[in-house]
Amino acid sequence: MEKRHPRILFRRRLKELREDVEQMGKKTMQAYRDSIKVLFNYDEEKVKSVIETAQKIDEMNYNLEHKTLSIIVAEQPVAGDLRFIEACIKIGSHLKRIGYLASNITEVAKQIKDQEVPEKPMDDIVHMADIVENMVSKSLTTFLGQNMDTARELRRDDDKVDDLFDRAMSDVTKCMIDDPETISYLVYLLFLARILERIADRAENIGDRTIFMITCKKP
Amino acid sequence: MEYIIEAENLNVYFDELHILKGVSLKIPKNTVTALIGPSGCGKSTFIRTLNRMNDLISTFRMDGTVLLDGEDIYNPKVDVVDLRKRVGMVFQKPNPFPKSIFDNVAYGLRVHGINDKDILEHKVEEALKGAALWDEVENILDKSAMGLSGGQQQRLCIARTIAVEPEVILMDEPCSALDPISTTKIEDLIHKLKKDYTIIIVTHNMQQATRVSKYAAFFLHGEIVENGRTEQIFLEPCDQRTEDYITGRFG
Repeated sequence: MEKRHPRILFRRRLKELREDVEQMGKKTMQAYRDSIKVLFNYDEEKVKSVIETAQKIDEMNYNLEHKTLSIIVAEQPVAGDLRFIEACIKIGSHLKRIGYLASNITEVAKQIKDQEVPEKPMDDIVHMADIVENMVSKSLTTFLGQNMDTARELRRDDDKVDDLFDRAMSDVTKCMIDDPETISYLVYLLFLARILERIADRAENIGDRTIFMITCKKP
Repeated sequence: MEYIIEAENLNVYFDELHILKGVSLKIPKNTVTALIGPSGCGKSTFIRTLNRMNDLISTFRMDGTVLLDGEDIYNPKVDVVDLRKRVGMVFQKPNPFPKSIFDNVAYGLRVHGINDKDILEHKVEEALKGAALWDEVENILDKSAMGLSGGQQQRLCIARTIAVEPEVILMDEPCSALDPISTTKIEDLIHKLKKDYTIIIVTHNMQQATRVSKYAAFFLHGEIVENGRTEQIFLEPCDQRTEDYITGRFG
């Protein structure tokens, strides 16, 4: 039998990379959850905190990229290790984008905070926000646990979000037609639906990157 | 795909030691195939089987077939000197003869009966150009080859090999004794040579295998665990043992 060479330093560096993605994921979840809270209960301090968190995630992403480049240069990884490193780079960039989209949600919150938003489209949005939160969380556990099943689930979840987006569009448009006075702030609800739909896409992409990392095939 | 070498169910023994165990491998023509695997896995034994270098070891015995251009090289009628002209070899350590640069390259040609001065000069020049060494030695052809640097000596050995116009060049870790610049020169040369020759290279350098070869075979305990396109082997190996080896978990 061959002598085992665990490449201790290399393994440690890969573990650190995984931990960095996990930390970025936690920050992203925090930014997203806070942005949704702000939607229903506007809080200037929390808005500031979401924006700062998004910037922090961006900074973490640069650090992650720097680390991955150092590992590639020093360790010249191949096969599964290389695919893992590539996935970290891609996923870092998805998380960074989700962070900034959460910031955008707080901008919408600012615009609608003093308005009476009709119940019907708001219900669609709340439902979307719940599914999206679950998707972001699931995308992280999917990557960290290299889970093909939940990666596939994310594709189905994204279809649900797309349906809800269509329904929200239709409900908001109906409200606008019924009462044109509401257009000035309901238009922000459309932005919000679009932002949630884009976050769901990013979560689905993280699942897809996980599938590619495991199988080296396009999902 | 056209195969120049087809090894089928090859078993090699040295005394009671079973070194190669049922190895089958086809080598496509005009390509570079890298053989990788931990020390003692049978890579070198395998390539030495391809030009019957193992015949020189008294305890060697084998079964199975090796076809070169469809002909069994272990057929008793095969002329081994002619076979080694067709399947040349470059070793780990540069091994120039203690002769002039010119005589080193002309050696194989003379062995094969070429003594005409003009033909020799022409072929030596062609071989040295082919080995990307001509520009560095054209004015010192009568000087001893032992005075060349390690990298130059290795390219001289490649020139000596290609001077007799082989079909296949076997390279057994040709860069392991060279510095990075000389290694790059040899790798560039391998790229150039594959147009005219089929190259089989044994290497312990995984990155070198990915840089120079189109196909790769992973040997372990005298067996081929996996072979296929190099890119596939290094990006998505099929066998866990291959993954463990190339990612440095054992070796």
